[in-house]
Amino acid sequence: MMRSLIGTWRGLLWVLALVLPGVLLTACSGNGTGSGVPDGSAKLKQYYIAGEGLYVKHCSNCHRADGKGLGLLYPPVDTSDYMNEHFADVLYLMRYGKAGELVVNGKHFNKIMPGNAALTNLEVAEIATYLYNTWGRSRGLVDVREAAVVLDTAKAPVHGSR
Amino acid sequence: MTIMNYTGIIRWAGACVLLAAVGLGGCIQKKADEAKLPIFGEREVENGDTVYHTIDTFAFVDQDSVVVTNETFAGKIYVADFFFTSCRTICPIMKTQMLRVYDSLKNDSNVLLLSHTIDPEYDTVGLLHDYAARLGVSRERWHFVTGEKDAIYRIAQTSYFATAMEDKAEPDGFIHSGAFLLIDTQRRIRGKYDGTKDEDVNRLLHDIRRLKREIASI
Repeated sequence: MMRSLIGTWRGLLWVLALVLPGVLLTACSGNGTGSGVPDGSAKLKQYYIAGEGLYVKHCSNCHRADGKGLGLLYPPVDTSDYMNEHFADVLYLMRYGKAGELVVNGKHFNKIMPGNAALTNLEVAEIATYLYNTWGRSRGLVDVREAAVVLDTAKAPVHGSR
Repeated sequence: MTIMNYTGIIRWAGACVLLAAVGLGGCIQKKADEAKLPIFGEREVENGDTVYHTIDTFAFVDQDSVVVTNETFAGKIYVADFFFTSCRTICPIMKTQMLRVYDSLKNDSNVLLLSHTIDPEYDTVGLLHDYAARLGVSRERWHFVTGEKDAIYRIAQTSYFATAMEDKAEPDGFIHSGAFLLIDTQRRIRGKYDGTKDEDVNRLLHDIRRLKREIASI
């Protein structure tokens, strides 16, 4: 009787020991950001991972780690018709900023987005690769040369922080 | 009796200790729950009564050009913070978190929110109005105030113990703390939280409920 009771306990502990780490791991893996590193070339993955880090550092304060933005102050970047239709503009505004009215998913935004003049062509390409391959998008690699075409031909003034 | 059985017994004992610890943890948590929130700041005893640090008298203007004073918060609990609309660093995160506080208290007219701009030259009433409207919040519940710069900095530092000052060396031109301060119905600070951290704001929500129970029991 005693022996079988101890046996049952031991079985239970084993089950717990096997299941618990799995549960914890699953709980931790959902970090609220994108949908994970996409399948594809090593370069795509490299850009994507670097881009995610840059997004968290430079963009997520306002647009949030989950890309949902905040009210009508900061537009969402997860689901965004604007982003789908204005690819070149999105690359451009990362460095040069944007002022004036901006309609995203039918909602009217009108705060100045400060550009980050310090972002290199490669960094813009990496952020774009992250944005355009997460939250349901799968555009593929945004190469640094593609970004350079948009960024280096831009002559407009940089919008300040206000 | 073999070694196998000894291991079994050790595991048994281990499981019992674990269970006891969890049980005890629950008790401690419950006890802390019932204790009153601390009262911040220095205190003095005058004629046998303890006099606590309180928020100084103030008068600022909110997003609808209405004057907001201590009287606006008479008999209310409120949460205060310091920010500015063009800030790109911690303010958007603070506002995301404060909106969470707002949403969780939507049907509670006894708890208000008070956000002071520390950049009153730029953050005019019109700009604060636009900002609040874009957040989609009501001025009855959440006041965004502006006023004389010195008065805002003074009340931040001497009343709320929050850092707020100009510093041209900073990327956005200001230094300020991301603190949320919980103020009770007697103008006393009862909690200080990091408004950029999810778990700290959860603690604030928890403490608001405790404070409401405390006030209800007086």
